[in-house]
Amino acid sequence: MRFLLRTLSLSYVRRHKAKTLLTLLGVVVGVATFSSIESAKGTLVKGIRSTVDRVAGKAQLQITMEGGVPEEVQEQVRSLPGIRATSPVIEQIVSTEKGELGSLMVIGIDLLGDREMRDYGFEGDDADLDDPLLFLAQPDSAIFTRQFAEKADLKIGGGIALKIPKGMKRVTTRGLLTPKGFSEAFGGNLMVMDVYAAQDLFGRGRRFDRLDVRLTEETSIAQGTATLEKALGPAYRVETPGKRGEQIEKIVANFIAGFNISSGFALAIGIFLIFNVFNVAVNRRRRDIGTLRALGATPRQVQLLFLSEALVIGIVGGLLGTLVGTTVSQAFLQIMGQTTETMYGVTSSGVVRLPPVIVLESMLLGVGTSLIGAWGPALTASRIPPTEAFAKGAFQARPPGRSVVRITAGVVALGSTILMALRPPFGGNSFIFTELLLGGVGIVLLVGPLSRLLLICLVPLVTRFAPVAGRLSGDALLGNARRTSGTIMAMALSLTFVLGLGGYMGSTKKALDRWMLDALTCDLFVRASANFNRPDFLFPGGLRDELLQLPGVKSVESFRATRPLYQGHQIQVTSIEISQLLERMKYDFTQGDKGLMLRGLTQEGKCVVSDNFSRRYKLGVGQQVELTAPGGKVRFTIAAVVRDYGSDQGTVLMDRTQFLRYWQDDRVDIYDVSVLPGANVAQVRDLIRAKLAGRYPALVSTRQEFIAEITKAIDAFYALTRVTLFLALLVAFLGIVTALLISVAERTREIGILKALGAFPSQLARSIILEALLLALVGLVLALPSGNLFAAFMEGPLAELFTGWIMPHFYPWEILVQLLIALPLISAFAAWVPARQAGRLKITESIEYE
Amino acid sequence: MLKLHDVIKTYDGKSAVTALAGINLNIGTGEMVAIMGPSGSGKSTLLNLLGGLDVPSSGEVVVAGKDLAKENEKGRSLFRRSKVSYIFQAYHLMPTLKVSQNVALPLHLAGIPTGEISRKVNRVLKEVGLEGRSHHLPDELSGGERQRVAIARALVTDAPLLLADEPTGNLDTARGEEILNLLRTIHRERGTTIVIVTHDHKAASACARLIKLRDGRVEGDSTLPGGAA
Repeated sequence: MRFLLRTLSLSYVRRHKAKTLLTLLGVVVGVATFSSIESAKGTLVKGIRSTVDRVAGKAQLQITMEGGVPEEVQEQVRSLPGIRATSPVIEQIVSTEKGELGSLMVIGIDLLGDREMRDYGFEGDDADLDDPLLFLAQPDSAIFTRQFAEKADLKIGGGIALKIPKGMKRVTTRGLLTPKGFSEAFGGNLMVMDVYAAQDLFGRGRRFDRLDVRLTEETSIAQGTATLEKALGPAYRVETPGKRGEQIEKIVANFIAGFNISSGFALAIGIFLIFNVFNVAVNRRRRDIGTLRALGATPRQVQLLFLSEALVIGIVGGLLGTLVGTTVSQAFLQIMGQTTETMYGVTSSGVVRLPPVIVLESMLLGVGTSLIGAWGPALTASRIPPTEAFAKGAFQARPPGRSVVRITAGVVALGSTILMALRPPFGGNSFIFTELLLGGVGIVLLVGPLSRLLLICLVPLVTRFAPVAGRLSGDALLGNARRTSGTIMAMALSLTFVLGLGGYMGSTKKALDRWMLDALTCDLFVRASANFNRPDFLFPGGLRDELLQLPGVKSVESFRATRPLYQGHQIQVTSIEISQLLERMKYDFTQGDKGLMLRGLTQEGKCVVSDNFSRRYKLGVGQQVELTAPGGKVRFTIAAVVRDYGSDQGTVLMDRTQFLRYWQDDRVDIYDVSVLPGANVAQVRDLIRAKLAGRYPALVSTRQEFIAEITKAIDAFYALTRVTLFLALLVAFLGIVTALLISVAERTREIGILKALGAFPSQLARSIILEALLLALVGLVLALPSGNLFAAFMEGPLAELFTGWIMPHFYPWEILVQLLIALPLISAFAAWVPARQAGRLKITESIEYE
Repeated sequence: MLKLHDVIKTYDGKSAVTALAGINLNIGTGEMVAIMGPSGSGKSTLLNLLGGLDVPSSGEVVVAGKDLAKENEKGRSLFRRSKVSYIFQAYHLMPTLKVSQNVALPLHLAGIPTGEISRKVNRVLKEVGLEGRSHHLPDELSGGERQRVAIARALVTDAPLLLADEPTGNLDTARGEEILNLLRTIHRERGTTIVIVTHDHKAASACARLIKLRDGRVEGDSTLPGGAA
């Protein structure tokens, strides 16, 4: 076998470099998509967890509370039995004046007491750090990790400006950290400063983000947790750093899960590319196969030869794909990190390292994809009778096989997919996997016969407009059912992915746009944090009265959002002045109505829940939601269920009076300001800015600006998905090029005969281009229903499984129009080289070609 | 060596075509036989059956004591590997392999050790007069030389039966004569049973026996004077 591989296979590769490259590309694109997404995902999640672990240092427990831990709690905790040390922490992710450095995690700690908790590994003999008091006396003092300082070209005494809610703030380097342990958190992009300076800088008031706790040696974690929970009450969360890391991981899990589908599609499309290329390799090498068989090669030896070639291609493609994936994964990580920071207020930074597991998985996928794609053609090769292999043109004349069983199996698989989607028998990832597998099998089985049927209908139509080229292209496509259906399969899968995922993105965006138009109806939004999900600063509640007194202001609502855990998931609890809100906002009620909502929330102390909350936790009007407030558990009866896209884990909305009553916290995230009729919005905005200048960080946006910012965040959420859509189109393009090159190669003799009979090169070129257009058209026609089904699956069962939302379905007309414009151009472009090749074939050589 | 009993071969299709319509034939060990007949008489089909490249629709094809009709695909492959060798009109050499690699191909398929392959290849290349061409590609050789490579490949396995399908069909008279001489030498020196399918009377006259086919039946079976005995 080694001799055959070394001689026959290698020489085939040498003679057909372009086709081998295309086969490799199929594997490379599939594996690269998989490995880059997996490694970026892995680094992001590992980075999040590792940052939590490293920053935690020797802390065994961490105390957090929605809205921050009041300063006085530290004293209370310190006096409890079993507590060895406590240390307050403030954590803030900022960007610097040098955007290329990426996000920087600022850790505010108590330098006087924190050495019990963390080993900083300060470098050198810096006097400032030897005397923390000197360090603390200068509020702009900052310590950076050595690797960040090197990247930012920072020396001791040198400064860098941070982008913070109040604007730009310059800090001075007063120390460096050794790059090990703690300083490796957040990929080394770490800055340490005094916790009280951080409180001031980031507007935390007299609260900390958390308290780190170290227990005495004789106190167990369980004992410590019990003591703290008992002393602090249910409003405080006491957990180990590991548990907290898990919780943060859970928050980004939904976002990350979506990429598994992209990886799966990339690989499936790759399989069809490989199938096609091996199919042609078998056809082109029929005479060689015949000779081998005549010389005594067994069918198994022939099959093994092709599978060995696939194995080599799989290994090489897997390696290259992994390398390419590693290269692009850093960019993927950056996009993913930015998205999770914008959407969830959580991110990690670092260099993507490819763990051996992902390398192994990628290699196995490359090899697996290649072997699966080559299996059919290899089997065909082994079954070629030697006598048939020597007969010129015999294989081109082979009729397609019977398809009744195939169609029946396809219909059953697709029907089962739809039935299961309507009534899922089980949930979780196994449901998604089963659905995608069954749906994929259904489509694969049906595409062949359906594409043939479509071509039979389309060819006569095309022939009317282009009699010669139309007939030639029709004959070429219908004459080789396997090749044609393989290409259309890859096309249809790519386009199903594009239409399905694109359709899902479009539907989601449209639903959110409509919701924003209905919900965000005030004129100005005053907020202190640029991040929608991570409040860097909260306004005092008393500011509302000051804003109300400004000329031109009609009303001001105080919006506050907290993100507590509910049944293990981080939901959103929001509060606002409901009666004012209902005057301007139009809710879409799925249960209850406006009257019930107004009365329930303002007079009866009830709450409203979002439709996804209702679905996820199976709670509706009249039932109760139990929330944990600082004073203990509070039960709220549900007055209505409304469509709301505030949180993918569910939202509970209550009147501000209820929040103030139970949470005893009057701070505000956003003030929603409505202006008087006729008042100038821009002037009111200037007045607000002037009022808050120098006192609070304030971002004042008009309605249009606010909506645009949210839209930008949503677009960022789908940025990586768009990259995978582009990859799918690239694979589709590769599929067309491969198929046409194959078509020309297989029909060399036929083309020679046609030329001998007087066909013009231009007629042949046109027929090849028509062939490409027909392939694309049939692929698109087949992808229309399957893409729609895929989009419906994503918008319905899949979205419901992860978020509880059922997105309204909007047909992706925009994408369809874009495809209708792009596909003919791409197809014609893909046909250019094969068409030229066909035109240049020499008659005498072509006629003798096999 | 070869025994055919009531062999019928029909090709199924939209309309069935009978290529061989009941052939009965015996060819002894060490014979050199020519099979002639017009196009469509069933010559190539008969050769395919003798070499185990195809199976009869009915009847017995016994070659070297083995009924090929009863063998499965793997059995026929192993038979071809050890008992029979071919020479084709179009040579069917691997265009990308050097002369020596082409000759070595059946031995590699049989899993013969490399050292032995090298020894055998050198020996047969010398026998056919191509020892100086072992590193050439088929494209770099003349038609006669290519056919010599094909003969060397056929000889290298020491198979007792050599089947030749129009071995001189692509060659000019002089090159054709050379090939026939070579086949005669092989027959004489090795005692190999040789069956040649040909349209060429000159090629047929090199053999000791002539079998004529017409419409899938044996029309005549005669001994040729002056042919290889």
